Amino acid sequence: MQAQGVSLCLLGVMLFLCSVHARGLRRCLISMDMRRMEESFRGIKNAIQAKDTFQNVTILSTSETLHSIKPLDVCCVTKNLLAFYVDRVFKDHQELSPQILRRISSIANSFLHMQKSLQRCQEQRLCHCRQEATNATRIIHDNYHQLEVRSAAIKSLGELDVLLAWIDKNHQGTSAA
Amino acid sequence: MLPRLIVQLPALLSLLLGFRAHELPRPSSVWFEAEFFYHVLHWTPIPNQSESTYYEVELLRYGVEPIYWNPIRSCSQTLVLSCDLTMQTLDLYHSNGYRARVRAVDGGQHSNWTSPNTRFSVDEVTLTVAGVKLEVHDGIIFGVIQLPRPKMAPAGDTYESIFHNFREYEIEVRKVPGRYKSHDKIKHENFNLPVPRGVGEFCVRVKPSVSSRVNKEVWSKEECIVLTPQYFTVTNLSIFFTFVLLLCGALAFFLALQLYVQRRGKLPTVLVFKKPSPFSLISQLSCPETQDTIHPLDEQAFPKVSPELRNSELHGSTDSGFSSAKPSLQTDEPQFHLPAPHPQAGGTLGKGAPRLPEDSCSSGGSKSTDSGICLQEPSLSPGTEPSWEPQAGSDSRDQLDSGIGLVQNPEGQPEDVQGGSALGPVSPLGPEVAAGEDPAAGAFQGYLKQTRCPEERAAEAGGLEEESSSTDGLGPKFKTCVDAEVDWPLPALAKGYLKQDPPEMTLTPSGAPAGQWNPPTEDWSLLGLTRCGDLGASDWSFAHDLAPLDCVAAPGGLLGSFDSDLVALPLISSLHSSE
Repeated sequence: MQAQGVSLCLLGVMLFLCSVHARGLRRCLISMDMRRMEESFRGIKNAIQAKDTFQNVTILSTSETLHSIKPLDVCCVTKNLLAFYVDRVFKDHQELSPQILRRISSIANSFLHMQKSLQRCQEQRLCHCRQEATNATRIIHDNYHQLEVRSAAIKSLGELDVLLAWIDKNHQGTSAA
Repeated sequence: MLPRLIVQLPALLSLLLGFRAHELPRPSSVWFEAEFFYHVLHWTPIPNQSESTYYEVELLRYGVEPIYWNPIRSCSQTLVLSCDLTMQTLDLYHSNGYRARVRAVDGGQHSNWTSPNTRFSVDEVTLTVAGVKLEVHDGIIFGVIQLPRPKMAPAGDTYESIFHNFREYEIEVRKVPGRYKSHDKIKHENFNLPVPRGVGEFCVRVKPSVSSRVNKEVWSKEECIVLTPQYFTVTNLSIFFTFVLLLCGALAFFLALQLYVQRRGKLPTVLVFKKPSPFSLISQLSCPETQDTIHPLDEQAFPKVSPELRNSELHGSTDSGFSSAKPSLQTDEPQFHLPAPHPQAGGTLGKGAPRLPEDSCSSGGSKSTDSGICLQEPSLSPGTEPSWEPQAGSDSRDQLDSGIGLVQNPEGQPEDVQGGSALGPVSPLGPEVAAGEDPAAGAFQGYLKQTRCPEERAAEAGGLEEESSSTDGLGPKFKTCVDAEVDWPLPALAKGYLKQDPPEMTLTPSGAPAGQWNPPTEDWSLLGLTRCGDLGASDWSFAHDLAPLDCVAAPGGLLGSFDSDLVALPLISSLHSSE
């Protein structure tokens, strides 16, 4: 009888610890139709990337930033990049073609939807930004500022496929096809 | 003014010379055409290129430090307008892509660089399959989509691993020479298609896609298969063998049924006539009687038949084969008159017909086979066949007669006999025979068996057959029977004989008016007599078998011997059945 009680107590403690740890490891997943954004980008890719004359320069710098991001920092980095594009890139780009502008607007609206999903995760304290995430975000901002605004905006729009692929990879399992 | 122009002139000349160094135009367009691990860079030639013009290609890994343009020497060949960059872009599916550029070079001159408009990434790869493998089984086309397996692909980089999720395939089928018809999209590499009606050549092509991607998709090469009519399929063979088994089973069943029916129809052993044995021949040879004889019966030897039996239903029973109602033996129907056998009767009654020993019918020494009808002398049957003829002598026939007794017509007129034409030759014998008959022997029991010898029987059978053919079909045909049995045992029902017991016996037919013994109806008697006459030679052969029995008067056994002979006479069986 005493042995059973002790075992039950131990089991309860283990479950509690596991739940706490799992809460920390719980990822903030985004439910988003990535295919729709990819189709929109495909429509502007040829026009946007053709205007990118600085081919040996990258803003997102995936080898130093995105490829080194750990799962715990995914939520924070995703949130920061979405804010970067919505607050800087989409506003700095001056598009004259309505067809391209419509597709860029579609992508921007999808980014706003993802920001709202991440805000709920932040309220649940699931989107804690560590130093590594902050450093990655700062590098990207520095790369963007090294170029002329219009060229930087063009280049950032041209790198949307990289960002979408990274989001799809890190948030796989919830993103709808 | 002039010194300024002289100083600026070399600068102008140098600019002109430098400009001419880059006179070569650059390729107008450069683009990638890529499939799964097959990445080829294409460019357009420059206008007015010479034979020495070649192109330089450089490649850049986008976003990977150190960022620099890597020249591809293998692509710098004269008059070559494309270059396979697969080996230089193996990590395309795990990176952000590549940038490439191309310029023309001719002699000392080179053009400007031309780059593709877009960054070369995994999105630029066109999805396709290596092929389709088709097989046909039981009228269904089974297909297996073969995914690309390029040799340059690094280990672990397969189509399924790179495009792990949401793979789909669109299938189209056509029957040569028709057009393609779309089939359902499948999500697996295996599929089966029901074969459309008919046989012929069918072609299939497949177009892959990834639903989460926007890559370009192209149809594979068509794969064709020829369908031929399959006759010897498993299904057809199984159906065929099942049908054969069912047929054999049905044949076996019907054969068994046939054998069973034949067995059922087999005659009982008691009715199976034995083949003539040598002993029978000897006995037949020793048969003293060489001619048919009518033996008058001793009336006292036979118990009188109760009057009730005269009109009993036994006479008219349908068991004997007559469908008529109970016939009355005392009807005014023409009576049968069978004269006593006369030696001069000839073939009518057989050669042995004329002689009629007195005790031929009454004694048990009668040895002839009994056909069922006993021909009796008038003196023998005064009380047995009173109704056979409307004569005054009917009172003497108060004894019941279970069989058909022929009462000799005193006048011996054949016309009084029904069907007397058949008995014409016989009738003259009547008076002559009657003279020698014992009136007391009129009563007789049952049928009288007439002794026959083999050759006479055969002749008589032939004569009877002639009679039967010559009559109108109504003439009764009598056979003289010899019945010497005093106490006849009750014959078996199936043996055809009806034994009419004397009044003290157990015969109590119902519904029979007392004191009456109606003669059998015409039908009844006719049938019975005809039946007896129809025995023919075969029947006489039966008589041959029973000759030893007939010749020896076996008390109690005579009727038994009768019975075996009378298997073909059903008319009397009815009498037994009522008993």
